[in-house]
Amino acid sequence: MRKTVFYVPLAAFLLLSLFLLSGLFSDPRDHGSALLEKPLPAFSLPDLQQPNRQISAADFRGEVTLLNVWGVWCPTCNAELAFLTTLRQQGVRIVGLYYVQPVDAAFGEKFDLPTLQQQVRDKLAEQGDPYLFNVVDEQRSLIFDLGVTGAPETFVIDREGVIRHHHVGDINPQNWPQLQRIYQQLQQGADHVPTP
Amino acid sequence: MIAELGHLALCFALAISLVLAIFPLYGSYKGAAGPVLLARPLAILLFLLTSVAFGALCYSFWSNDFTVLNVASNSNSMLPWYYRMTAVWGSHEGSMLLWVLMLSGWTAAVALLSNSLPLILQGRILGVLGIINVGFYGFVLFMSNPFERTLPFFPVDGRDLNPLLQDFGMIIHPPLLYMGYVGFAVSFAFAIAALLGGRFDSNWARWARPWTLAAWLFLTLGIMLGSWWAYLELGWGGWWFWDPVENASLMPWLVGTALIHSLAVTEKRGTFKSWTVLLAIAAFSLSLLGAFLVRSGVLVSVHAFATDPSRGLFLLFFLLVVVGGSLLLYGVRMHAVRSQARYQLFSREVLLWGNNIFLLTATLVVFLGTLYPLFHKELGLGSISIGEPFFNSIFQYLAIPFALLLGLGPWVRWKQQQWQPLLKPLSMVLVAALVLAVGVLSLYQTPSANLALLGLILGAWVAVSTVGEIQQKAVQLGGVPGLFKLQASHWGMVLGHLGFAMLVVGIAMTKTFSVEKDVRMKIGDSVELNGYTFLLSDVYALNGPNYGGQAAELEVFAHGEKLTHLHAEKRFYPVTRSVMTEAAVDARLSRDLYVALGEELSGPSWALRVYVKPYVRWIWLGAILMALGGLVSLGDKRYRRKTAAVTSPQSSAATGAPADA
Repeated sequence: MRKTVFYVPLAAFLLLSLFLLSGLFSDPRDHGSALLEKPLPAFSLPDLQQPNRQISAADFRGEVTLLNVWGVWCPTCNAELAFLTTLRQQGVRIVGLYYVQPVDAAFGEKFDLPTLQQQVRDKLAEQGDPYLFNVVDEQRSLIFDLGVTGAPETFVIDREGVIRHHHVGDINPQNWPQLQRIYQQLQQGADHVPTP
Repeated sequence: MIAELGHLALCFALAISLVLAIFPLYGSYKGAAGPVLLARPLAILLFLLTSVAFGALCYSFWSNDFTVLNVASNSNSMLPWYYRMTAVWGSHEGSMLLWVLMLSGWTAAVALLSNSLPLILQGRILGVLGIINVGFYGFVLFMSNPFERTLPFFPVDGRDLNPLLQDFGMIIHPPLLYMGYVGFAVSFAFAIAALLGGRFDSNWARWARPWTLAAWLFLTLGIMLGSWWAYLELGWGGWWFWDPVENASLMPWLVGTALIHSLAVTEKRGTFKSWTVLLAIAAFSLSLLGAFLVRSGVLVSVHAFATDPSRGLFLLFFLLVVVGGSLLLYGVRMHAVRSQARYQLFSREVLLWGNNIFLLTATLVVFLGTLYPLFHKELGLGSISIGEPFFNSIFQYLAIPFALLLGLGPWVRWKQQQWQPLLKPLSMVLVAALVLAVGVLSLYQTPSANLALLGLILGAWVAVSTVGEIQQKAVQLGGVPGLFKLQASHWGMVLGHLGFAMLVVGIAMTKTFSVEKDVRMKIGDSVELNGYTFLLSDVYALNGPNYGGQAAELEVFAHGEKLTHLHAEKRFYPVTRSVMTEAAVDARLSRDLYVALGEELSGPSWALRVYVKPYVRWIWLGAILMALGGLVSLGDKRYRRKTAAVTSPQSSAATGAPADA
């Protein structure tokens, strides 16, 4: 017994090394989402171009949807628009979640919807419009609930309105095949999606 | 050409360190003097070669040689010369070169100052240091060569040093910190040498103590400077963030603090041996772990260098060899060692054991808080983050028993202590501490049970008890002149403990009474905070050597009288396209006034952040005092005896009541 005690530090260190080794091969910035395999949180937010129309989680039922978090202020999102537009042409249902950057009322900034609508129209006319519609999250409440850490991010939502996959960063021809597998399996009503 | 010379010197250094790792250890194993005698000249040669390499890199930065990739990536011809020198260790590659310079420096220092050690022990210590050197020279040469060229297509100018690093603090923070990290390699080598030889007598502890103290004092200063630098440069008014990399430096410090106390017991009483050896291994292992965490990219941190899994793999492999190997050796050898010394429940040994327990608990808390997100994620449980509240609340609770023990410790004798003689002086200390704490607090508010009161009581308890113990010593030794008979290490302890008291008071007061305000101001506007009026008198354009931006002038008034003048800057560095805050600070012992200039808004007006931070200086002054304590202890005559005195630890402890650690 007395002998074994002196090997405890070694055992603890070896265990630690295992974690460090596996940590080396995973990205610390890849957070996953706490909402994976959970339904979309309840929300009611306006459509960006038709503010009178309220959109809620119910709008995501019935069809597999990509919910794409983006903003005109985000260069990577803008670069992604063209490829997303080709996906829309292939029949992929993409909904935009527009990320409004914080405004500081104390310093005289205020949220200006008409200007934003114009900016979005200009950007989509220039780069291509992949979106069925855009949800505008002025207070970033849904964005907060989803655990979004930046833009662009994309959530794959199944027919029951459950979040099945979370993709951080842009979608491009290189990483689309993996996402496409998930998307197609969900369209066929699969309960388990392959992890890319 | 110069860069190639540096590269060549590094290659030679690797070869020398290989020889140093093999022959002296072989010689000490075989009992052959020849190979062991090689150790000291090799160690000195290693340092000289590394100095040549380091000098070559410095020259490349000095002469704006943008054909060297490292210079092109981290410097710029517009950068002032002193920041070009700082840029030498501003990158991963350069900082690793600084690291090996210091490692070889410590190795050479051991070689030069180890005259009094038995030859075999010299060989073992330098051999172990040689093994560590091989690992780091290999890492520098194969994984992060600072002398890589950009030829044939070299840039006309460099990408500039990260503006965050263009600060006086950056000039001295990394060298001091690395001196500390790397210095623990020496304590480690002493521990491994003792494990190899199987001798853990009090001589061994006496030899290891000054090296440990030196490393610890550098680490203390390094961490202190890092905190001070972040306070000035980040414009956030904070001084500690519990960032993974800060934690990586705090862990070896906590273990190192435990180690210097544990070494005292091993030296004086010949006990705690297995414990001391484990701490010596742990202190350096945590330094290595810190290097791994910073340079492998497994954790998200503001300090992390660009990530590269192959570097991480190399370091992890090295960690396995060095730490795994030493812990295996520990398991094989240590169980045979027994301590004979006896002591009672109420004795200095037990109190120092308590000190170690609390310091190690604190280390464990920092360790888990830093690595738990990694464990959690790798176990497939998802991502979590652990922040300030976790660390702050646990450290608050740990500080209470720790400070109480700390105040008590110096009064208590080795082996055993009766309660009765201590009751009267310690109750006087307690009453004085309570009066002092409540008195100081009532200057700020009606005293109530809050963090400030707790911190003041703990700080006052430690300080008053330390002073009281010195006063008792003076009485025993026949008045104030008698105090000159006290050993330097005793004074070191006094300073270290007073420094800790200052640190505790500083943290508690700053945390409780700091106030801040975010304001928008035009020129001529003023804002009032805690009785101080800050008037924005002017804002104008800046023209620095390698930056532009704006500077704000503020006048500060208190009670209607002008108190001081503040100058805050917002700098823009065009090469890296980054903005830096140079906060304006008016520092006094009792409070800092702190202003950070923000964005220019329409009007024209400016966003400003204004802080009043009471006692924040005490945090850094406390750390400086602790380091000073380490320095004074180093001056102790016992560490400089030419011939190793052979006295049994028991007899010296039994006779010398006033002469203690």
